[in-house]
Amino acid sequence: MAGEKVLVIGSGPAGLSATKELRNMGVDVVLVERESYLGGTPKKLKYSLLFPELRPASEVLDPLIKGVENSGVKTYMESIVEGIKEEDKGFTVSIKDKSGKIVNEKVNAVIAASGFEHFDSRRKYEYGYGIIPNIYQISDIERMLSENKLVTTKGTPPKRVAILLCVGSRDATVGNTYCSRVCCAVSTKQAMEIKERVPDAVVHIYYMDIRTYGLMEDKLYWKSQLEYRVGYIRGRISEFMRGPNDTVIIKGEDTMNLNRALVVPYDMVILANGMELGLGSKQVAKTLGLELEEHGFVKPLDPDRLPVQSTRKGIFLAGAITGPKTISDSITEGYAAAMKAYEYVTRGIWDESDFAKKRIEVTHH
Amino acid sequence: MAQAKGILQLPDDPRFLDMAYDVQGPVPEEERNLLSNLNPQDREIAIKFWESVKSDFRFNEYLRGCLNCGVCTSGCPAAKFYDFGPREMIQYMMRDEVDKIWEFTNKKVWACVQCYTCSMRCPFNNEIAGLIMVLREYAVKFALPSAKEILAPYRRVLYTVLTMGNQVTPDMIQPDSFPDWGPQAVEESKNMDVYRKAIPVDLMQRTDIGWHPSLQTAVEMMTIMIESGVMDSLKGVDKDLYDMIMDIYEERKSQLEEIKQKWEKGELDESELPDSWLDL
Ligand SMILES: Cc1cc2nc3c(=O)[nH]c(=O)nc-3n(C[C@H](O)[C@H](O)[C@H](O)COP(=O)(O)OP(=O)(O)OC[C@H]3O[C@@H](n4cnc5c(N)ncnc54)[C@H](O)[C@@H]3O)c2cc1C
Ligand code: SF4
Ligand code: SF4
Ligand code: SF4
Repeated sequence: MAGEKVLVIGSGPAGLSATKELRNMGVDVVLVERESYLGGTPKKLKYSLLFPELRPASEVLDPLIKGVENSGVKTYMESIVEGIKEEDKGFTVSIKDKSGKIVNEKVNAVIAASGFEHFDSRRKYEYGYGIIPNIYQISDIERMLSENKLVTTKGTPPKRVAILLCVGSRDATVGNTYCSRVCCAVSTKQAMEIKERVPDAVVHIYYMDIRTYGLMEDKLYWKSQLEYRVGYIRGRISEFMRGPNDTVIIKGEDTMNLNRALVVPYDMVILANGMELGLGSKQVAKTLGLELEEHGFVKPLDPDRLPVQSTRKGIFLAGAITGPKTISDSITEGYAAAMKAYEYVTRGIWDESDFAKKRIEVTHH
Repeated sequence: MAQAKGILQLPDDPRFLDMAYDVQGPVPEEERNLLSNLNPQDREIAIKFWESVKSDFRFNEYLRGCLNCGVCTSGCPAAKFYDFGPREMIQYMMRDEVDKIWEFTNKKVWACVQCYTCSMRCPFNNEIAGLIMVLREYAVKFALPSAKEILAPYRRVLYTVLTMGNQVTPDMIQPDSFPDWGPQAVEESKNMDVYRKAIPVDLMQRTDIGWHPSLQTAVEMMTIMIESGVMDSLKGVDKDLYDMIMDIYEERKSQLEEIKQKWEKGELDESELPDSWLDL
């Protein structure tokens, strides 16, 4: 084994865990990150407590970041991969930094872990996000919670809060018909965090289905009712209006009671915005020549059998770049991609599958 | 039944797959609605009605699925004022509940104002307002009592639309009919004649019609109404109006024929023609 090198793009949970594992196995890593810090979206948005264990995000992320910082990895911060050329048994990649300076690196394999971005709720114009005060997204609330600044425009903690699930997910009108998988858990968690801080607040979650799947059912959904008396109302909100005193009036149907629109004022409304591929990962997919699947995420070679291999030989995938995922799933995929990349650069192993080439019946929305 | 490939049929009404039914019978709420409660004649129509709606070429395209989310009903202006909601209808349709659809068509479907908010916002992209229109169309085709009752006050509108191609006529602007206009309606109604004469388009210088189609246009328009089945639908719900309009059609057709023949024979003297063919 002599001087094998792997390029990792993105330093979120997935990229960090892949980097760390490769280093543990003695492989050199070049890490390219668009932002000026390591840690990915959880750091960028300053996540507060993480579901399902309700522990501070730093407890999970900091050891990963430290591990990478101390492992002698060559890191290009505020940089992106701008070009890739196949050469001998590997690739030559050109990395461009903020000032436009370009550096070439020779690598044997690539792991793309450039993650997701949040759905921008302004695209759901009838919700008035960005126009009506006191409407936030779960991605805004994380920072407000972690910085202990959960207040309405009046400067006081909210007393009546509504959380609306599935914003930008499960919705053909915005073209996203998939479920973003984490937002039920995040919302339930945020409801509990709000009740923890403002015990007399009324918190209502408007839902179609509660998808706190697996072990999260009782850790989040049941707990939020047992210990915090969070209210669950079955119905999706159709529009918001600005009410007096900077309140937000919601219009929804309580679908357990036929035919009545609920018109209810709240002083804070939170939209559980979903996950999308985002421009960062689109840039990566375009540069590396990766294919996208029907929901717009990057397509693995075989979603069941080879989830961390891309459709291009020598390029591996990890984390939310292939679809909505939790942090622990992303970390696990980082391990898997590291192992697959290790097999590839040391012994040339690349599993084949014709799944991605098969014509897939695409649902029309 | 013409059916796009790959589109599944609706399931049988799930309530009738319940094994406890045989033993316990329907609960009181269901008993009120169940088809078996209808007299045999109505029952037959109800089933035929629903089968016709389902076999309409638009049905499977418009009805896609339902998250039961209530977005349609919560944005619906009609749901605000009536015991009516689009989600209710979509759910009955998805579950193939013919008795509920029957009840909905007879009592509720007319509350919709066809604003299409529901269709625009439905996250499953159902064409909800379109489905409502399909139900209404078949209600008219089947000459259901509710359709007759609903259309009765619209005789004048139907009459002007079908004979003139437009429905609101300037002389309808009377203070009584437009109280929400306030004093403006009084003003407008007083001087309507003058206002209309001032319009530099001679087709619009009358107050008893909105615009004045040529004889040929009027005949063509009515032919379209007949050929497309609109007149047939009307026949079921309002036979008198149908007869009246068909008489007018025959009359106009022969007038047009007469003028054409004269023209072909070179006998047409334009100075003999009236200013408006309506005065013929
Ligand atoms: C509001 C919210 C709260 C959440 N809370 C939790 C939670 O409590 N627990 C949990 O398990 N999961 C949570 N998640 C999910 C979690 O955020 C993701 O699972 C995780 O961030 C995915 O990690 P990743 O490494 O794949 O991607 P990311 O975290 O998105 O990291 C991708 C990295 O790649 C970089 N990058 C992007 N494009 C480029 C480019 N072109 N070139 C170079 N670098 C690039 C980005 O800057 C970023 O640093 C939450 C999600 C949301 C929406
Ligand atoms: S996880 Fe929950 S909120 Fe998010 S898209 Fe799925 S069902 Fe909706
Ligand atoms: S089209 Fe009809 S059912 Fe749909 S929102 Fe408008 S009034 Fe309601
Ligand atoms: S908006 Fe669409 S998906 Fe939601 S309840 Fe109405 S019909 Fe069903």
